[in-house]
Amino acid sequence: MKRSIKNITLISTFVLSSSVALIASDLTKAYDMPDASKLIEKDLLKEPTKFTMPKSCNLDDAEAIKRGAFFFHNLNGKKAKGEAPKGVKKFTEKKGKDGKMKKKPKQFGNCVACHNIEGAKGGGNIGPDLTNYKKVFVDSKTRDAQFVYQKIADARIDNPKTHMTINLTTKLFDESEICDLTAYVMSEKKQTKEK
Amino acid sequence: MKKLLLPLALMVTIASSGEQFAMSDADRAMYKEMLENNPADIFVEEGGEILDEMLGGEEALAKFLGVSEKELPKYIAGFPRYIKKLGNVVGIDQVLQAMQIEQGKEKTKLKSGKMFSMLAYVKSLANDEQFTIDINADEHIKASYDLGKTTFETARGGRGLSCLSCHSADIVGQVLRTQPLPDLGKAGAGATWPAYRMTKSSLRTLQRRFQGCMKNALLKVIPIGSKEMVGLEVYVSTLAQEAKQPIAIPGLKR
Ligand code: HEC
Ligand code: HEC
Repeated sequence: MKRSIKNITLISTFVLSSSVALIASDLTKAYDMPDASKLIEKDLLKEPTKFTMPKSCNLDDAEAIKRGAFFFHNLNGKKAKGEAPKGVKKFTEKKGKDGKMKKKPKQFGNCVACHNIEGAKGGGNIGPDLTNYKKVFVDSKTRDAQFVYQKIADARIDNPKTHMTINLTTKLFDESEICDLTAYVMSEKKQTKEK
Repeated sequence: MKKLLLPLALMVTIASSGEQFAMSDADRAMYKEMLENNPADIFVEEGGEILDEMLGGEEALAKFLGVSEKELPKYIAGFPRYIKKLGNVVGIDQVLQAMQIEQGKEKTKLKSGKMFSMLAYVKSLANDEQFTIDINADEHIKASYDLGKTTFETARGGRGLSCLSCHSADIVGQVLRTQPLPDLGKAGAGATWPAYRMTKSSLRTLQRRFQGCMKNALLKVIPIGSKEMVGLEVYVSTLAQEAKQPIAIPGLKR
């Protein structure tokens, strides 16, 4: 009898003191601090990767050059003006969490954000001016197709500290799309607006 | 008023050469107009009223933080900081949440407009002060700074970019599609958010601004209040501190 009373007081002091502690001082869970580490972990950029330009790349193909131009001058399918060239989709369909198909704009290169080039509207200057690229860099044998392909695919191989976007290692584009961009950059362009 | 002259001077110089830049003449005229009369002033005021009515105002805040009301501005200028009873380096918004819980009130969401207003009001108490962040004060703030710096420099997302890709010293002032890249220190980014963002017609906080850059650059957007976000705020605020940019809330941004 005596013992059980003692137990009860013991339990009640314990309950009392812990709830007091909760009210008076435990504020360590009283605010939101959501976890971001997993999000970041999954989003990390992979190691610099060497690529070889596929033999199937046809740099003289007018259709490829058109697609490349479209990727170069546009940010994504939602913002892209005008009709997409043959073989390019502005949107992709993906199954959402609710099982419904969702339309997602395809991401393009937005290369013009950093590079000036023939016909650029609001071209940036973080990267070198690519105007007259064929004459200045290709015909002079300063650059070849493999160099340009690798630069666009993963610029870190040539320049570990590059500020340029990484386009193939990240799977933003696939191989044939990198071919299209390479074809466009290396092609001879008219000085007039061409997009 | 004085506090806002610098950004105007900066805008005018960078935006003087016409159509290459994102700000049109009309935008610039509006910006000038808004400098006289920041549309975010009413949100800040409203934040003050909520703080008063819901939590007991500055007096209660000072008490919660264990400082005198007189010391409050300088103390606020040290946020984000380690608060022992919260067990973490936290932002002002998280302190306000803890006060709400302690007083038996409902927690306001970190990403809500109401919280942005309260946060802006509290930070504005430190207006004209220099930041007082001491990253060597304790191991917690040091760790938070390091995490922030790492997060700033970590390349990720659909285009493999980091904050540093666009905000490193060697490309400040260069142009990314019509937008000159700001020097986050000299622009006093840490000291001028919460700010009225003209392009969004609303009051935005620093962490909300970080989310904007993440979204634009295809980095996965991480949640406000996470350790990484608080760390980024510590890091970016110390850049303003090094550049001796005084706190000036609410800022006004394009
Ligand atoms: C965020 C800025 C940025 C974006 C976006 C960008 N670039 Fe670049 N680019 C650079 C920088 C900086 C360099 C120079 C440094 C280097 O070579 O890594 C460069 C270099 C290049 C070169 C090499 C020029 C030469 O011969 O030296 C090519 C080609 C190129 N970019 C093409 C592209 C293409 C195509 C895209 C879009 C898919 C693109 N860039 C997007 C910043 C950018
Ligand atoms: C692709 C380029 C790019 C990347 C990547 C980028 N930013 Fe930005 N950031 C910009 C540009 C451009 C502006 C100026 C925009 C404007 O004028 O409104 C800017 C503005 C800002 C500002 C506001 C500056 C001010 O005037 O108050 C902050 C803060 C900021 N960035 C932080 C970050 C952080 C943190 C990250 C990484 C999570 C990041 N940025 C990544 C391009 C970038």
